[in-house]
Amino acid sequence: MTMILILALVTGAILFGIGVYGALSQTNLVMIMMGVELMLAGAMVNLVAFWRFLHPEAYSGQMFVLVVMTVMALEMAVGFGVAIARFRAKGSVEMEEAEDLKG
Amino acid sequence: MTVAIVLLALLGSAWLLAVVEGWMATGRLSPAAPLFRGLAHLGRESIVPRSPDRVFFEAAPVLLLVVAVLGMAVLPLAPDLIIADLGTGALFVNAALAYVLVAVIMAGWGPDGAYAMIGGWRFLGQLIAYSMLIVMPITAVAMRAESLVNTAIVGSQAGLWNIVYQPLGFVLFYIAAMALAFRAPFDLPSAEGELGGGVDAEYTGVRLAVLRLARLTLVVTLASATTVFYLGGWHGPLLPPSAWSLIKTLAVAVSMLLVGHYLPRIREANLMRWCWVLGIPLALLNIIIVGLLILVVP
Amino acid sequence: MYAQAFFVAVFGLAAIGFGVVVFRTSSMMRSALALLFSMTAVGCLFLAMQTEFLGVLQIMMMATEMSIMAIFMVMFMMDPGGLGGMDMSHQKRFSIGAGVSAAVVAIAVALLSDWGPAAEQVVDAQAQTRALGMELLGRSMMIFETAGITILTAMIAATAVAIPVKNLSSKDGKEASE
Repeated sequence: MTMILILALVTGAILFGIGVYGALSQTNLVMIMMGVELMLAGAMVNLVAFWRFLHPEAYSGQMFVLVVMTVMALEMAVGFGVAIARFRAKGSVEMEEAEDLKG
Repeated sequence: MTVAIVLLALLGSAWLLAVVEGWMATGRLSPAAPLFRGLAHLGRESIVPRSPDRVFFEAAPVLLLVVAVLGMAVLPLAPDLIIADLGTGALFVNAALAYVLVAVIMAGWGPDGAYAMIGGWRFLGQLIAYSMLIVMPITAVAMRAESLVNTAIVGSQAGLWNIVYQPLGFVLFYIAAMALAFRAPFDLPSAEGELGGGVDAEYTGVRLAVLRLARLTLVVTLASATTVFYLGGWHGPLLPPSAWSLIKTLAVAVSMLLVGHYLPRIREANLMRWCWVLGIPLALLNIIIVGLLILVVP
Repeated sequence: MYAQAFFVAVFGLAAIGFGVVVFRTSSMMRSALALLFSMTAVGCLFLAMQTEFLGVLQIMMMATEMSIMAIFMVMFMMDPGGLGGMDMSHQKRFSIGAGVSAAVVAIAVALLSDWGPAAEQVVDAQAQTRALGMELLGRSMMIFETAGITILTAMIAATAVAIPVKNLSSKDGKEASE
């Protein structure tokens, strides 16, 4: 059982690592958001593994996973709203061009 | 054994639905026509567009068929005739049917053609309209049954069917199911006259046969879901339970085809407006009413 | 136990594989749909770890979300088909270093710490769903309501940011962006 816990934790860690690479290396807002989604997915895998193998009687663990899923959806929604506004103002959502606070 | 029976029932219902569809289109009732049409598709040349996205082009019809079969796998035909009686069966139906969107988007993007792509993105517009209207009536149904298990949902309708208990939910679920299966009058993604076939346009040969089979099977799965959630599943006086399930499923599926036959196509701008301005408040009202009925009526 | 270990390993590898495809391919649609299948693999991982409600919920939500991300990619990115072969990334060495070090630290903590006794069984799915519902509407009611208000605020904020700015001076501007 501890072996399966470690398998799940390693999976979560690698997903998180891929997400960090994506969020830092991509120039487009949509791709950065995909990196953030992968990071949150890695965190959720860890949460579920901890719930299942270490504290199966505490359902607040599952509650936390629900909250993280909600946060994933919300940050995508608000992020895409911001992307639409930026695209209308500037014509692209490349983050390399988003260096000034003005405009 | 159970798997074989359920799959055979699914295939037989899809066949009957194809016969009815042919009857409505041509006026002649020919029971063997689907077999000959299917064989003709297999025999025809399979034209592949010039530069398709191969992965999506091949995967889309197969994914649609897999989704329809997975949806059917958690719906009971009789108390013991269910492939997988999951603990969250009602939610799993919804989860499986969410992949219809993925399959249609793949079918739209894959062939690298304008009409297919427009059809695919139109289906996304329809999804924004129907996706709340699929989930909220299921919530009200699960409230009455106090469980998400599909056999328990059918069991809770032993006294009174849900179509009488929650008629508003039934109407909303029926409309959303027709929009999900992109049947007329919500068939903008594959508009025959307007878009040259839409997402069906670039498929020929074997893939078209699989796509047509998948679309019919999807209608049967949705009709079976309507039966399980609203029409009391297998409850009925004289015949064995599985016979009642099949009769009700086929009745709902044929009624969906008939409604499509007589109504004009609806643009998804209007569909979105009506679903969000009228449909979602009605769905919430349905949940409130069902909650009050459960608490007050003994 | 070995079946569970096998499925956890398979779905974990699938999630990681699709996650790598997300950033390796140059076609934007393939990137978005690879992320979708990575999230589906994570949902199946939840199912393999016997949290049925969370797994089904993850599978359902991610299908819709990632398809919407796909259409946003087609709207905003320069080369959605990926046939141009451009490399749209910057600070590659730094980000690879950061990603690898984050993963290595997390794996080291996972392997080196003593997790104590691991629970063998959990209750079945129906009892879990019921207990989760009781928790959601009983002890964590405050969190649930706060999440609801947050969702409403985010919906209103996203809609407000995304609607086009109306031209206040002329009447045609108002009608044109109706």
